[in-house]
Amino acid sequence: MPEAAAPSIEIKGLTKRFGGFFALNELDMEVAAGHIHALIGPNGAGKTTFFNLLTGVLAADEGAILFEGRPLDEGRPSRRTARGIARTFQNIRLFPHLTALETVMIGEHCRAYASIWKALGSAVLRRPFDEAAEERRMRENAMELLAFLGLAAHANERASNLPYGEQRKLEIARALATQPRLLLLDEPAAGLNPNETAALDETITRIRDRGVTIVLIEHDMNLVMGISDRVTVLNFGTKIAEGTPGEVQAHPSVLEAYLGEGVEP
Amino acid sequence: MLFQQLINGLMLGASYSLVAIGYTLIFGVLNLLYFAHGEVFMVGAFVGLYLVVHGGANIYVALAGAAIACAALGIVAFYVSVRPVPKDRPLAPLISTIGLTIVLQNLAVYIFGGQQVAFPETIRQELYRFGPVTISSVQIFILVVAVAAMAGLWLFIERTKLGRAIRATAENHETAALLGVDVNRVVLVTFVIGSAIAGIAGVLDGVKNSGVSPFMGLGAAVKGLVVMLLGGLGNVVGAMVGGLMLGLIEILSAAYIGTTERDLFSFLILILILLYRPTGLFGTRTADER
Amino acid sequence: MLHDLFDGYTRSILVFTGVNIMAAYSFYAPFKTGQVSLGQAGFMAIGAYASAVLTQKFGVPFAAALPVAGVVAGGIGVLVGFPALRIKGIYLLLLTLGFAEIVQVVALSWDFVGGAQGFRQIPFVPSILEYVVALIVVLVLFFARLERSSLGRAMDAVHQDETAAEVMGLDVVRIKLLAFGLGAAIAGLAGALYAHHATYIDSNTFNIMVAVEILMFVIVGGSSTYWGPLLGAGFLTLLPEFLRTLRDWLELVPVAWTDFFPMNRVYDFLHDALDFENAKRLIVYGIIIMVMMILRPDGLLTRDSLRRLWMPRHA
Repeated sequence: MPEAAAPSIEIKGLTKRFGGFFALNELDMEVAAGHIHALIGPNGAGKTTFFNLLTGVLAADEGAILFEGRPLDEGRPSRRTARGIARTFQNIRLFPHLTALETVMIGEHCRAYASIWKALGSAVLRRPFDEAAEERRMRENAMELLAFLGLAAHANERASNLPYGEQRKLEIARALATQPRLLLLDEPAAGLNPNETAALDETITRIRDRGVTIVLIEHDMNLVMGISDRVTVLNFGTKIAEGTPGEVQAHPSVLEAYLGEGVEP
Repeated sequence: MLFQQLINGLMLGASYSLVAIGYTLIFGVLNLLYFAHGEVFMVGAFVGLYLVVHGGANIYVALAGAAIACAALGIVAFYVSVRPVPKDRPLAPLISTIGLTIVLQNLAVYIFGGQQVAFPETIRQELYRFGPVTISSVQIFILVVAVAAMAGLWLFIERTKLGRAIRATAENHETAALLGVDVNRVVLVTFVIGSAIAGIAGVLDGVKNSGVSPFMGLGAAVKGLVVMLLGGLGNVVGAMVGGLMLGLIEILSAAYIGTTERDLFSFLILILILLYRPTGLFGTRTADER
Repeated sequence: MLHDLFDGYTRSILVFTGVNIMAAYSFYAPFKTGQVSLGQAGFMAIGAYASAVLTQKFGVPFAAALPVAGVVAGGIGVLVGFPALRIKGIYLLLLTLGFAEIVQVVALSWDFVGGAQGFRQIPFVPSILEYVVALIVVLVLFFARLERSSLGRAMDAVHQDETAAEVMGLDVVRIKLLAFGLGAAIAGLAGALYAHHATYIDSNTFNIMVAVEILMFVIVGGSSTYWGPLLGAGFLTLLPEFLRTLRDWLELVPVAWTDFFPMNRVYDFLHDALDFENAKRLIVYGIIIMVMMILRPDGLLTRDSLRRLWMPRHA
């Protein structure tokens, strides 16, 4: 496990309320750069809300988030993506009518075109903006990412026609196309069979080896405990335990919260 | 003076309410903007006119005739223009109702010509004085019929089994079907009822304005949409109250600001509602957030 | 010039068709990002009045007034586009409809632009048809390019899932505003071109029926390809004209073929039935629209049928 450098994410007192219900309550957390950090907890513990707050889909009520040392307070999700945070969704959100290749190319858009005027100009007046070369480059990058995830054969198929497991991988490919330094994976193993989960394990490790910090929400304890450098456990919006997988597995509050949901002490 | 304006406002508002009821009912159960509803209103007016002029009928027969004719039109419209169009295509059902609008409007022009046609007097014009205020028999008649129609509808929706079925279908088709509701029949009934009420509104409008025109449907359609939004999509009571409110606002602003500006008011209100309270003043009834 | 190829009546038909095609593209632009706007008639009115005022009241030559009309309409489009950003579906439909109605009311009550009397004696520009054709060519090329570009792809993504698009780094706000403003500008140009051909506009020229017809053009033509607006607007504008000429075609049938029973009865019946004065034509027009939505709700041309035309060997 690489020694942690500067933290990727620092969170202090993060709170999110929905009416009277606290989805997240005064959460303090740190994710070290280059780590695979897992976030676990029973359903409704606030994990996806946490991702929504990080990506800017929801606004926090209280608390501060620092990303790579600077405050993460951009209002629009696209700005946070530009800073280097990408995510996948718990219930897959692909673009149903785009092909797999086109889907990944969408991810590259924010890196390829600095402004929308460039994009428009490039669309209309091909030559001065070298659109053809730009398109070719984006296509090659996208194919490389598809191959990295074993999806190269499906490049020209519509996203909605792909089998479930491939759709999950496509979401990851799309997120990687934005060249993130922090990747948030929301239950990437949901619905996968053991073979696919083993492949996912390897993929996540290889992504980390490319220099990407990963935060992982998962229910599959074997995957989580096998792959993570650090684990944070949430219940009812608060942190009840944190540490290495070994430390967390033995923690009494965790065992209580899960009541034997596949966790072997 | 103010009282006169209030009466006028209520009458105009009642007209808006009656049209908006059908709109909102249909939107509630089908999530469809039934654009041709304004033309149903117009057809009702012409049927009433025809019965009075050529059949020598009195106003009650005219009202009943219009209601029945429009109910029948509602059935035909449903089977021809709404049912056969696949709902999952974007906007196709709306386009189909636009086609129906064109057909009905031009059918009226073809039969009756493009000009306004006079609606003969059917109620003996009498004035009643209560202290400083004067109200005519025609105004009383219109308001009474409108209120009766709205009250009748409200009772139907809230107290009868079919009314409950309509409300359930508006919330969620699948759940309603699981509970044993015949969704198709419910949708048909909403078309029938909505159209019948619009027909009555058309006749009342003809009496109020002493005339009907093949183009009166479009204005009613637009105002009906505004009221539907104001009251909350799918909310029948909201449509009733919203219509009355809009009528009052229009008449009062016309009296105290200026006539062409009165339409401006309605659309500004529409925009404000959309921006700040899109669920309408009284909340929407449909579960969908489209 | 194309000028002399057509007589006055035919020219007018072609100009109206061209204006409708442009109006259809003005709807298509925001629609690509998923924004359904019933307000394009309002932007047409703004462009029309702007150009009329500039040319008639300030003596600006048409060639200069036209782009200004487009810019004005486009600018107002961006302004309207802001509140439209967070509104979807039927609510956006109603918002844009409300906007179009407000434009109508303003035109009705503002005496500077003629008020209830309308704006008369707009300078007639004889070469309007040439302008229209040129702009349509530009529009088709533009949308063809856009379709295959990454910006076009981004717009599609926004249309299909706005939140996911935003999270993937697409600047959804700018994309939607650009599309909306562009649509408004195109509508403004179309309105201005119409005004300088018809020489008279009033508050009723760009009314709600026009607004919904523009929507109709694109959906009937097929909203998934860039040929859709052209096909839909062309087909629907020319259809009533076509119906009008059907009887002329019928009369070309040689008398000998219809001189006997039952053909003479059939001929008489058709001859009467095809007597399409205005209202009857439009009734058939409306029926055709309804039938089309039943039989071909995706429109005349879809992505699949386009592909099949290009590559018939692939099943």
